[in-house]
Amino acid sequence: MSFAPRPAVQPWSRVNTARRIQIFLASSLPLAVTALIVLFGGLNPSVALLGVFLPLQLLAAGYVGFASFGRRGVGDASLIVLVLFFATFVLVLLASVVFSLISQGAQAVSWSFISQNNIYVSNTTSLEYGGVGHAIVGTLLIVGLTTIVTVPLGIAMAIYLTQSQSKTRGLVRTLTQAISGLPSVVAGLFILSMAMTLGWERSGLLGSMALLPLMLPTVARVAEEALRLVPVDLRYAALALGAPNYRAFFQVILPAAKSGLVTSILLGIARIIGETAPLLLTVPINNGTSWNPFSGNIMTLPAYIYGYLSSLFEPSQNRAWGAALVLMTVVAILFSAARFLSRSKSLKTKPTKQKASK
Amino acid sequence: MSESSVTKPEPVRRKLSAGPLSRGDKWFFRTTSIAANFAFVLVAFILVFLIIQALPALSSQGFSFIYGTEWNNTKDPIVMQIGPMLWGSLLIGAVGVVIATPLAISLAYLIVFMLSTRLAKVATTLVDLLAALPSVIIGLWGLFVFSPVASEWAMLLNQYLGWFPLFQVGTADNGFVGSPFIAGWIVAIMIVPIITSITREVFSQLDRDLINGALALGGSRFSTFRRVIFPTSAGAVVGAVLLGLGRALGETVAIFYVLQLTFDINWGQILEPKGGAVASMILAKFGEATAEEVSGLTAAGLVLFVLTLGINFLASIIVNRAQPWRKI
Repeated sequence: MSFAPRPAVQPWSRVNTARRIQIFLASSLPLAVTALIVLFGGLNPSVALLGVFLPLQLLAAGYVGFASFGRRGVGDASLIVLVLFFATFVLVLLASVVFSLISQGAQAVSWSFISQNNIYVSNTTSLEYGGVGHAIVGTLLIVGLTTIVTVPLGIAMAIYLTQSQSKTRGLVRTLTQAISGLPSVVAGLFILSMAMTLGWERSGLLGSMALLPLMLPTVARVAEEALRLVPVDLRYAALALGAPNYRAFFQVILPAAKSGLVTSILLGIARIIGETAPLLLTVPINNGTSWNPFSGNIMTLPAYIYGYLSSLFEPSQNRAWGAALVLMTVVAILFSAARFLSRSKSLKTKPTKQKASK
Repeated sequence: MSESSVTKPEPVRRKLSAGPLSRGDKWFFRTTSIAANFAFVLVAFILVFLIIQALPALSSQGFSFIYGTEWNNTKDPIVMQIGPMLWGSLLIGAVGVVIATPLAISLAYLIVFMLSTRLAKVATTLVDLLAALPSVIIGLWGLFVFSPVASEWAMLLNQYLGWFPLFQVGTADNGFVGSPFIAGWIVAIMIVPIITSITREVFSQLDRDLINGALALGGSRFSTFRRVIFPTSAGAVVGAVLLGLGRALGETVAIFYVLQLTFDINWGQILEPKGGAVASMILAKFGEATAEEVSGLTAAGLVLFVLTLGINFLASIIVNRAQPWRKI
């Protein structure tokens, strides 16, 4: 994967001790200097990071690069420093999100928080009463309904894109990718307009309809990748033995791509489980538990977070954090399951991937 | 002789077809092509129903709906115009893209060309996890954790670079919260994974021989990036950035929490706590909207849909062109 430029002047010479010391100093000194300035000079950390650390680090790395490889070393050193700086920055942001979710959410989450519903709970009720049980039930029902409809549709789409020889495949693929950028609020407005035109009541069912266009592209794309990983030779062998296409698919390709297809379902669910705007537009909220997504009010986790987030009272904000932690845990579980499945699959079929795509 | 050739029945011209032979296959392909064509049906349905509901507002407001700067439901012929929101969406999208692009390209370069296979997998997983964060959670984090930090950055920007028109503010005493700058950051965090994943795939599918050749000719890491990697993958990166822009324009909940929505147009003072975003405005106004206003909001949604679909379609074409290995 990685390629390492070797010294140009003497390709056979190793990096020697003096160079090692230089590299070590160049990678540790700027950070140390910045830390000292922030601690004792009282400079603002953000300013210090951009105004002191980054220039110093660039300078130090540039010097070592110059000493080792001449002028070409300077460009390499700056490239490496900038890439590492930016990448670390993104990872720090991600870590900040996860850390604040866990540290803030853990105060609220308890068994009663997960199991109880929100009847008789006001903005200032302490956290021992009330919880997200009703929202979990509602989310599961609505997302489940969407999944039941979207998964066959998305997988059929993926079959069309990989197994058929139709001329419109490129267009369908492009359009599917374009739909994947559909603003979630527009998906909500679409179903709402449909309901108003046809005279339907707002309900959980509308919510799951609004989630469909958001889930479909994810399922279709990941399922397509999964089907594409199956070597074409397998399919040709089946067809050559006289199997019709559908038999070749169900008996040869489907078993081989099973875990990839499950991955597509999991990633699709992870994509929509946190969608907020469509549900706010189409699903009337509820403080009690409802098991009926087809009519009446029903609560969902994102709507619960949304409702308590803008409250000024501390218990309510804690509820929002707690519900966010619950939601994030569900997403993380789905996500790691998908990762686990796709990893064991891709290891087995990796060598054939190149061949299949030619 | 001529008679016999006339009476002789002409042989039936046989058709050669590569279509499905068995009945099962016919159904198999018919079902899947119905499913595939559902993509077209879906887009058509979205357009039709949005237009039906948006028509009253569009016909009463005319073209000033798009560029006007007033939204007033107390006037008798109600006035609904989304100019500042539309401009605000574009402004936030621009800020987000400017921030996200270097971050995403750096991440992709790090993953493909610098890390060992194992670490690269970990980094890829982390980036995908960032993509899986629901936008309401980013909004929650943005409101309570990120906004205070970013407002401090905004203050410093204004303090040190305030001479630059982009970083000027009208009144100094505004706390620097709720500005397009912060919303742009939030959006950037949400589109970094999209740009990264496409760029990473393009980088990893580049011809190894090309890169090794450049290195063998004495190229350094930097010159290889500058002269080989970047030119060959630039098209796909542009497509990825456009996809990110489309996503940024449609971002709803996260922006809703960190942005001060005003119908006073903000031409580019990104640190000013006034801005707009079509999607967030729809959400903000929906709660107390009258029937007429719902129609106006639907019209706003229609504008947003057409805009994002256009950008995404263009981006998808560019990305697909730049990834020939994806086509069989």
